[in-house]
Amino acid sequence: MLLPESMSKILVVGTKDQLPATIDLLYSLENVHVIDFPSDGEEGFTLGSPLSAASDASLKLLKLRSMEKDLEIDGSAYKEKISVKQIEDTLQSTMDEIEKQISGIVESKNSMQTRLSELNGRITLLDPFKKVDLDLGLYRGYSSLGVIAGYSQIDPETALKDALQNEYELFKGSDSFIVLFVPLSKLEEAQRTLSQQGFSEVPIPEGKGMPSQMVAELESEIADVNKQLEDIEAKLAEIRGNYASFIAAADEQLSIIVEKAELPLRMGATEHSFVLEAWVPEKEFSSISDAFSKKVGDNVYLEVLCTKDRKEEHAEPSGYNEEEPVEVEEEVPVELKHGKTVGRFTFFTKLLSTPRYNEIDPTITIAIFFPIFFGLMVGDVGYGIPFTILGLIGLKRCKSDEWRGIATMLFYGGIASIFFGLFLYGDMFGIEFHSAEVGAISWETLLGVSLPHVLFNIGDFAVQLGYVTKLGSVKLLLYACIWVGIAHLILGLIIGFYNTTIRHGLKAAVFEKLSWLLVMIGFAFGVLWAIENLITSQAMALDSNLIIALVLAIVGLLMAVKAEGGTAIIEAPEVLSNVLSYTRIAAIGMSKAGMALAFNMIALEMIAPGGGIMLVLGLLVFIIGHLMIFILAIISAGLHSVRLEYVELFNKFFEGGGVDFNPLKIVRKHTIATEE
Amino acid sequence: MVDAEGLIAVGAGLAVGLAGIGSGIAEANIGAAAVGAMAENEKLFGKGLILTVIPETIVIFGLVISILLWINM
Repeated sequence: MLLPESMSKILVVGTKDQLPATIDLLYSLENVHVIDFPSDGEEGFTLGSPLSAASDASLKLLKLRSMEKDLEIDGSAYKEKISVKQIEDTLQSTMDEIEKQISGIVESKNSMQTRLSELNGRITLLDPFKKVDLDLGLYRGYSSLGVIAGYSQIDPETALKDALQNEYELFKGSDSFIVLFVPLSKLEEAQRTLSQQGFSEVPIPEGKGMPSQMVAELESEIADVNKQLEDIEAKLAEIRGNYASFIAAADEQLSIIVEKAELPLRMGATEHSFVLEAWVPEKEFSSISDAFSKKVGDNVYLEVLCTKDRKEEHAEPSGYNEEEPVEVEEEVPVELKHGKTVGRFTFFTKLLSTPRYNEIDPTITIAIFFPIFFGLMVGDVGYGIPFTILGLIGLKRCKSDEWRGIATMLFYGGIASIFFGLFLYGDMFGIEFHSAEVGAISWETLLGVSLPHVLFNIGDFAVQLGYVTKLGSVKLLLYACIWVGIAHLILGLIIGFYNTTIRHGLKAAVFEKLSWLLVMIGFAFGVLWAIENLITSQAMALDSNLIIALVLAIVGLLMAVKAEGGTAIIEAPEVLSNVLSYTRIAAIGMSKAGMALAFNMIALEMIAPGGGIMLVLGLLVFIIGHLMIFILAIISAGLHSVRLEYVELFNKFFEGGGVDFNPLKIVRKHTIATEE
Repeated sequence: MVDAEGLIAVGAGLAVGLAGIGSGIAEANIGAAAVGAMAENEKLFGKGLILTVIPETIVIFGLVISILLWINM
């Protein structure tokens, strides 16, 4: 459970006539992670070539996809499942039928759309000329006259009058459109004058007739084309309704055929045989081997090449040598195996990085500590209950990994919030169940009931309804957070120690991780000393705690220096900053409680006592205020809990960068496989 | 004379406020770069997040100081 699944590398060799059966078998096992055959492979081998089924299926798939595009089919929208047998029987005839039905329609649809954009383009050209309603025939065909049309930001009349000595004719439309007729001899002068007035020219459209009339004609034609298009769309929709499910299913079936037929591209091949290497989970090998002997008998040879251990060999490069490239250690795929609850947190591990084959999968630490941190930060029954409900709905309804991740966070975080809200802080919506202060609001005074102080007894220990308050016991909470941090970090270092042991051996682990563990424990003693001497009695006394702290820290640091060199000294202050980082748990709890206090004061003490409408108003302020805190809680508490895992804890042991175990497998959404 | 408690309160406010500005400036640049990296490769979200929140410790230092001041008020 802690380490990823142990993996074995297998070799499959067989004759080519067994290839299709072997491929079907490999897919049905759903446990085989294929290693791509190196393209510059071993001598005598080439890359395999696709099965003959591939070319036919690809061709059909291509046609099918173009139909999907023409018919605008979105595969995910159809739920109907069709059996593979039915698809195989009717594929060709149905495709022919669909092609016959849509070919003419799609062409005319395309030509109409082209026509439509032509017409619209022409209208855009003509539109400005509507404003100076002159027959388009009048714009051209002169031997001594030049015509300029366009937009002028400033009225050019006065400037033109000066420049052209009245030898011009100017038509002004609305919104600064002008048309200017000038003798050819003055054309250049006119252009220069206009450009000084911020003029931009527009081309004069072809044709004859009044622009306004032409635009009206074009518009009626557009309406006509649009109507025809609607008819065509209706016809396409009808075809879509009839065939969409079939097309989606056939697409899926053909894709599967193509995928399977192309698997030989990842294998090595000789003229008559194939060879394939793959990773399988070690414990599954016997069942895989059974399946092979049952399905393909003795015709295919199967062998375990090695079962990967987790130690890393230090490939010491023996100098640069082009003849002998240093063999890069191949990455073993990682399959994370968890129960249902912990499995939900895998999302958060993968969000950072997939763990490597030879390290502890940190998902379980997230599953344990994330809710605890979240609960300590929010720690309020009033927010915990809606968090839990939202999370539960999310887990039931949501399909995508992201939303499921968020729902997981809310559900488990919510449960922890209720737990800590009830037993540790004893409050709901920032209001305590019963307040120690006389006169302060509490649920007892608000509801006028008496709530029990002691909930139940476990042996001699009385479980109370709240021990501390977020704003009242700040010192205690800060102190507690530091210890939570130290415990969390020590756990991280222990996991790191274990990881290094399996990777590089005990000696490396002692120097690389035990050293920091000693420093951390020394720091813990240092905290004890500091609290006792510096804060409580304000004096610096040399007692046993300080001596233990110094000895452990110095020994640890020396060991770390031996392992990592001088950088260890630079890293040493990180111990302090890492531990202090956990005080954010108390700080975020405080900020929530502070905001809640403010809203409660405004709503319940300042507005609500007014009675009547003020009571409603107070309730409104109360609801809006707490909704805001609630949403902020998701962001701040959620993000900071994740951060404490990712940054503080994972840095102590997690390397990441593993390859996901990605077995060959067929997922059918629109089809039902038929047994052969 | 200026009230000593008031000065402590001002000091506490400055500690957390200035530290907040500091981490804000630091995180702004890292965050922008992280989003840029994510646009190229979505898988970098986790690493980007970690790098972005590293300077957050600065504001925690400020906060701890201000809380210590506040408790001693």
